[in-house]
Amino acid sequence: MKKIIENALLVADSAELYVREVTSTSVSMRLGEIKEVAGEKKLEVALRLVKDGNMGVAVATQLEDPTLIERALVSLKHQKSPAECFENRELSDYDTALGVDQAVKEMTTDQLVALVDQTSKRLKVMAPDVSTGVYASKTFKRVWLLNSAGFDSAFNQTHLALGISTITPQGFHGAGKEFAGGGMPVVLDRHLQELITLHRLGEKPVSLGNEKLPVIFAGRAMGSLMMRVLGGVHGGNVLKGVSPLAGKLGEQLFSDKLTIVDDGRFKLGINTRPFDDEGQAIQSTCLYEAGVLKCYLSSPAQEKKFLDQLNVVQRPTGNSFKRALFSQEIEDAPSIFETNLRVMGPLTDDDALIASVSRGLLITGVMGAHTGNINGGEFSLNISSGYLIENGQLVGKVQGSMIAGNIYQFFKEVEAIGTEVEPMRSIFYHMGYSPMVLFKSASIVGK
Amino acid sequence: MNKERFKAALPKEGFCDLRYQVFELTTIKGTKAEIDAAQVVRKCGGNVRALVGGAFGTYCFTDENDVDNAFSEALLASRLVSGNKALQALEVNVDYVRVSPKVDPRQISIEDKKALLQSYMDIFMSYDEIVNLETEYYEQFTDTLVLNNKGTEVRQEELICGISFRITSKRGALTQITRLSFGGSEDYELLSHQEEAVHDKAKQTVALLDAEPVKGGNYDVVLDSDVSGLFIHEAFGHLSESDSLIGNAALAKTMTLGTTFAVDTFNVYDDPTLAGFPGSYTYDHEGTKAKRTPLIEKGKLAGRLHALESASLMGEVATGHARAKNFGFTPIVRMGNIYIDKGTHTLEEMIASIDSGLYLFGSAGGQTTGDTFTFAVQGAYKIEGGKLTGMVRDLALTGHLFSTLKNIEMIGDSVSFSKAGGCGKGGQILIQSGKGSAPIKIRQMGIGGQ
Repeated sequence: MKKIIENALLVADSAELYVREVTSTSVSMRLGEIKEVAGEKKLEVALRLVKDGNMGVAVATQLEDPTLIERALVSLKHQKSPAECFENRELSDYDTALGVDQAVKEMTTDQLVALVDQTSKRLKVMAPDVSTGVYASKTFKRVWLLNSAGFDSAFNQTHLALGISTITPQGFHGAGKEFAGGGMPVVLDRHLQELITLHRLGEKPVSLGNEKLPVIFAGRAMGSLMMRVLGGVHGGNVLKGVSPLAGKLGEQLFSDKLTIVDDGRFKLGINTRPFDDEGQAIQSTCLYEAGVLKCYLSSPAQEKKFLDQLNVVQRPTGNSFKRALFSQEIEDAPSIFETNLRVMGPLTDDDALIASVSRGLLITGVMGAHTGNINGGEFSLNISSGYLIENGQLVGKVQGSMIAGNIYQFFKEVEAIGTEVEPMRSIFYHMGYSPMVLFKSASIVGK
Repeated sequence: MNKERFKAALPKEGFCDLRYQVFELTTIKGTKAEIDAAQVVRKCGGNVRALVGGAFGTYCFTDENDVDNAFSEALLASRLVSGNKALQALEVNVDYVRVSPKVDPRQISIEDKKALLQSYMDIFMSYDEIVNLETEYYEQFTDTLVLNNKGTEVRQEELICGISFRITSKRGALTQITRLSFGGSEDYELLSHQEEAVHDKAKQTVALLDAEPVKGGNYDVVLDSDVSGLFIHEAFGHLSESDSLIGNAALAKTMTLGTTFAVDTFNVYDDPTLAGFPGSYTYDHEGTKAKRTPLIEKGKLAGRLHALESASLMGEVATGHARAKNFGFTPIVRMGNIYIDKGTHTLEEMIASIDSGLYLFGSAGGQTTGDTFTFAVQGAYKIEGGKLTGMVRDLALTGHLFSTLKNIEMIGDSVSFSKAGGCGKGGQILIQSGKGSAPIKIRQMGIGGQ
């Protein structure tokens, strides 16, 4: 790798090499039968060069790719964006156990198959009449980052995801539950029982009118709203003027019950690591503290822009990643993404929280999270898995309803925050963890 | 691409195949009036599959020297699953398909591409209330080799280029976002001379700032071709992908061929062999020749999209719809170019038939979970007394597939295809996925609003 930097410096002023090796295995089972066992060992390489104040990027799958430097020079010739200054940034102390679980790292394909099989069998014992699907994947990642300023570091990461779903008598998705993180999942009987309970509520369809109701978003459904939170605090969006949050640092924007942190050092979190894809130390960044906007997420290159354009001192937060909303492959320049978003606040017992609702909804799944004016906080979502609560009890599954609003109004009306955290998704990928959250009122479009 | 080396690595037992791809993606991106990034991504790698036990074992690799290990891993994985599944009636193909665009984008310099992009960006940004513009030129070339141990040896080039815009207008606290796309085929020529379309979209994006927010409820609606294409893709297309039927007797029963789903003038096809659209190709990623596939004919379920495994298990013909985003993924059943075929009504007749409703324009993304779907649109005109009146904004639609299909009342008399591909499934975004339609009228569609 050092040789590539040396060769790059023959034609450029500075250089940075990012290398990622991913080995993973996944197993999918449906209706008690394994459908596929898939493996991969993949290398991705990204080279960035700076010459005469311009920057170029090239991506490859082999370190030996003879066109790597040449393609970066072509890119450099056509880039107008200001060049990054590659630095030998200081890293904070980082315990490798924060991101690596040895048991996951050493897990064999047989063991992964057994995990899927055992989970399926446990469900079968608890509900012999319910059809299910189980999916598990384990990943071991090694990342190297070197630059011509002397930065030379690497880290390992483990990841394990387990998804369990039920299938309705008509053959469609019923209810679902996911576990995801750097370590082994702990699947308790009550998790499976909750899944079965929600599945059986599908046999009691209910229709809603066009009405306003209190709504509980389950932790796993909070990702659809947190995508909008992320769009708002995204440094690039703030600078471009497409986030409504410019000039609002220090303002009370959300309920004082709500604290949101981007925590890249969360033990065995989905995206826990020592540094981001530009070598900036990962940190825990409080975005909203008791509802007050405290910080944006930004890259080193945005620091000067924040000062020049908005007169704001915004230190880089370690959130530059070589990925996109719909792809975790390297296809683009680094941009701002979350590490582990965490929703926190004064906790209420989950059962007590549901019991406190006389008439409302528990939403565990939505569709359409990627549509609409995300950066502006707007949402209009199909409730794909939602349950009517009456007198504190779940009484049936909601059919054909939508929920709409804007998080900058909706998040002012947080009534309570649950206890057990679940992984959240931004469509394809996990983005952090949240407990269930009760909102005072939402616009529902029903029958 | 070392074909002989790969052929030698193919195990003899069961069914084994290998797909090796060289993948090049050129992108030029702009923000507001500035072009700020250009790059060429080049990746290559392989994906092997083995079926010697009860299920496929697969393995992806990026180092050519790992091919033997990849097959060992895939064989091992397949054997871990008890059973002895085999594929029936395999189609064996030997071919080399090269692209031959009228104007090859690879022969156009990056300077010229930037100049074209800049000319459109300047038009958009000349409108006062357009505050943000995200522009992307993309050009994806893939050279794919598919080999299997039954004799298939297909090499295929695929090329797609296009320009997409995401346009934001703003007045006070109100923001509106629209999209515009050109191209979606191998021909660079289709990207030129689009100034009029750019002006029209810019004006529409600004005009949406004067639109009223839609009131949530159920409406009689007319969908333009773009929105109808998204509807059939999300609402029905994914359900016609037969990998979801494997081992799922309940869903297979719901999807029994011959079941009546819609009025007898309603016809839906998927046709990758149509030239010049995002989902056009000759062979799929299993080396099966793509086939025009009737999905609904005269309102009745007429067929479904297949990969080798699903076709074999269901005793049907493999339609050539197994595709993967790139070598990093296993091929799964995907739509090629899905479309609602033309009917007999003019757009004017459809609008005139509605006393109070909406004419929806411009797709903005959607999603499905099987029998329910949702999608967003860029805007709508109110229909009052059979005529288009003011605009409304902030629309998202939802529905139950089977009841919505039954509520389709009228089908327009001409089909057009979207210039932008794109579909997400199983963690794979496939830009080579086309959709088209004639405009359609649907009774009582659920529309979300605040």
